[in-house]
Amino acid sequence: MVYALKRLLKEPLLHFLFLGIVLFVVYGFVSKRGNDEPGEIVVTQGQIEHLAIGFAKTWQRPPTEQELAGLIRDHVREEVLYREALAVGLDKDDTVIRRRLRQKMEFISDDIAAQIEPTDADLNAYLQLHPDKFRTEPLFTFRQVYLDPQKHGESDLADLLAKLKLAADKADASELGDPLMLGHKFAAVPVGEVAKQFGESFAAALPGLETGQWQGPVASGFGVHLVFISERTEGRLPALSQVRRAVRREWDNDRRLEANENFFQTLLKRYNVTIERLEQTAESKKPVADKTN
Amino acid sequence: MKYAFQAILVLAGCALASVSWAQEPGNHEALTKKDVAKITKPEFSPYAGRNFPTRVLWGDTHLHTAISVDAGTMNRIGQEDAFRFARGEEVTTTHGLRAKLSRPLDFLVISDHAEMYGLMPQLLSGDPEILATEKGRRWYDELKSGDNDRIFATAMEIVASLSQKDPPFKSDKAVRNAWTAYTALADRYNDPGRFSAIIGFEYTTMGGNNLHRNVLFRGDATVANRLVPFSQFDSQNPEDLWKFLDKFQKDTGAEVLAIPHNGNLSNGRMFSVQSFDGKPLSRELAELRASLEPIIEATQIKGDSEAHPMLSPNDEFADYETWDKSNLDGTEAKKPEMLQYEYAREALKTGLKLEKTLGANPFKFGMIGSTDAHTSFAAVEEENFFGKHSGVEPGPHRWEHVVIQAPDPNFTVMGWQQAASGYAAVWATENTREAIFDAMKRKETYATTGSRMTVRFFGGWNFTTEDTETRLPAGVGYAKGVPMGGDLRKAPDGKSPNFLVAAMKDPYSGNLDRIQIVKGWLSKDGKTEEKVYDVVWSDDRKPGADGKLPPVGNTVNVEKATWKNTIGSPELISVWTDPDFDPSLSAFYYARVIEVPTPRWTAYEALRFGIKMTPNVPMTTQERAYTSPIWYTP
Repeated sequence: MVYALKRLLKEPLLHFLFLGIVLFVVYGFVSKRGNDEPGEIVVTQGQIEHLAIGFAKTWQRPPTEQELAGLIRDHVREEVLYREALAVGLDKDDTVIRRRLRQKMEFISDDIAAQIEPTDADLNAYLQLHPDKFRTEPLFTFRQVYLDPQKHGESDLADLLAKLKLAADKADASELGDPLMLGHKFAAVPVGEVAKQFGESFAAALPGLETGQWQGPVASGFGVHLVFISERTEGRLPALSQVRRAVRREWDNDRRLEANENFFQTLLKRYNVTIERLEQTAESKKPVADKTN
Repeated sequence: MKYAFQAILVLAGCALASVSWAQEPGNHEALTKKDVAKITKPEFSPYAGRNFPTRVLWGDTHLHTAISVDAGTMNRIGQEDAFRFARGEEVTTTHGLRAKLSRPLDFLVISDHAEMYGLMPQLLSGDPEILATEKGRRWYDELKSGDNDRIFATAMEIVASLSQKDPPFKSDKAVRNAWTAYTALADRYNDPGRFSAIIGFEYTTMGGNNLHRNVLFRGDATVANRLVPFSQFDSQNPEDLWKFLDKFQKDTGAEVLAIPHNGNLSNGRMFSVQSFDGKPLSRELAELRASLEPIIEATQIKGDSEAHPMLSPNDEFADYETWDKSNLDGTEAKKPEMLQYEYAREALKTGLKLEKTLGANPFKFGMIGSTDAHTSFAAVEEENFFGKHSGVEPGPHRWEHVVIQAPDPNFTVMGWQQAASGYAAVWATENTREAIFDAMKRKETYATTGSRMTVRFFGGWNFTTEDTETRLPAGVGYAKGVPMGGDLRKAPDGKSPNFLVAAMKDPYSGNLDRIQIVKGWLSKDGKTEEKVYDVVWSDDRKPGADGKLPPVGNTVNVEKATWKNTIGSPELISVWTDPDFDPSLSAFYYARVIEVPTPRWTAYEALRFGIKMTPNVPMTTQERAYTSPIWYTP
């Protein structure tokens, strides 16, 4: 039922009908206002100059007197129709006008953001506030033995793990398990690099493993691995001087987004916003989940 | 009352084999000291003293943002967000979806159109200088009309205007401002060792007959700012672009290269054997082209340009994401005789022929893939495909939307025909602009259709089957041969060239079906020939009586958009010797790696939006990689 109604609301024909009714009602309303005091339109000298400059930019010469008179007549016509359109609220539901005005407002806030030059103190504060963005990645030095699940079952894996555990640090993984072009030894590799090569799930498992012993199986997009971590270096927060460029870049980007948001929030304070709850529809149960609420 | 729905796609898709093996080691008391000794050989480091590339770097050399005049008609995402997205960060799309790559790219070239560079945002913001022009005014009004059909029609008109002789509006100051703003941004996002923001632009000439090139810089903004992008309004003749770039290099000491793309839509012009004005090619021109265009883009969203079934009738894998009805804008039908000048394999063959007559090979190129996306998102994984332009970003109807509107409806391209392809794989010694550029210059690159498989390919005279037992094929490969993009010379008496080829699957994608080696050569009577050899494959298959290997099978469940890696192999390696080698004939060899079937992007989309597409829409794909060739010259 709700669905059928929504479909109906999306019908362009209905929109036209609706628009027709609105215009009819509005027209009636306007005609009744016929006796009101006339509005005031003054075309100032400044406006006339502006019109002439606009003309000159296009035609590379000033307008003739006749042309200028034409421009002014057109300006008056535009002003009259513009005011009447506003008076009857034709701007209210026009997507084009809405978008254009929205864009104009956003340009204003972008400009504000572009003018701020941060001090070292600003950048340092930003660095301290967002350590995760700039912390060096944890590094892992590890060896791995790979097994292709098509070729080996659980017992092979268990055998191999037992052998490796006995050999511990002395185990040479270079010829064990199945070949994998990635290699068996990794020295001080950032965890992000591990993720690029082995996939996210393998990289995510590394921090949970003990150092100094063979462990596994750890699954990856290739199959399973037995892993020996010999050393790990935790990420650390560098000094501003080492990451100044990156901090500045992120700071700028944040200011840009923030300026837009602040500007909007300031304006939003002037409104009470009520949002009616949407009924559960079939659409929101699909994999395309709406997580906004 | 209107509600705005903001759908959010969960895009961190990854299809890992779920393996749950017991942790319990069991009873292994029988292990002897000898068993343990076997696996504790004395330590040595196989990595010591290595100076060759050890990890392949992934990137896109061809991405457009709102700065491009055509993209800007529908796309609001700028260059900064394009960089952030490629680095692996989450960004909101033009249509309000949250988008993220499954894993970051290593490098990105934002290659916005040189034509009217950066004028789109200024047009949209109602810049008076642009609105003062007749075209600018009309486009502005149309783009602001709010009517999607009119906006799309205008977008197509703007695309068409890119290939007219004169710019619809011109503002040198605005172009320079936009260009320097871009190069500064690229410098800010360039992060050596982690992410290379390579500076570039697209030269978009002969729009309809697609002779487009992406120009890449080795250096930073100080280098790139010495020019403004050379556009087709400067000259529609690509030879003038080469001359301009050649002079730029000589004048400034800078280094640049150009990457042609979409030969498939050039209607017989991309790899023509004539000069631009129809004269026979000269040796100088051939050399100039070869020096400036070391690699080509062999696959992208607008179709695959490796091989065509009519040119390679014996190659059952030649018909991959083929777009062959017309030229780019559908204004001219494709004729069969045009194909030979459009596809990479055929051009490589033609190159051998031209080398014989001219003394220089203009088509001695390596291969890469890229996206050519106009969405600001270098996202071409099947389960995370953001489309050709912002008119066809993810949504329940994009498969049936028009991608390219042609005057003849037969040539109009529909959403489902887009290929979720490709990426550029580069064997660079480190992740820097310079190292990546240098690897492209020496053609140590390969193309993939979006999957990130690792491929090694070496040619030499002394590879043996024992070499396949090494765990580090690169070690023996570089020691005994030349890598992809290289040259074989001086055939030892009585020897045939052999090739060490190895591939490892993308951890996020399907297993490997097979590796093939494609050979092209110039026969004694001056005719070009080709042959595709299956060299190593999975699953103990035997070639049939016709010499063809049976298909690997198909585990794709289209409805659920899943597959199993129970067929195929995670890694394949082999040494292959050319059985038909004649040392007096010039030849090239390149490897093609094929994955097992996996769901095509259309299958993910049908599942995601709960829709049913028409039966003509393909739902599975076999991703592939094309390496740069290794040439043999007598």
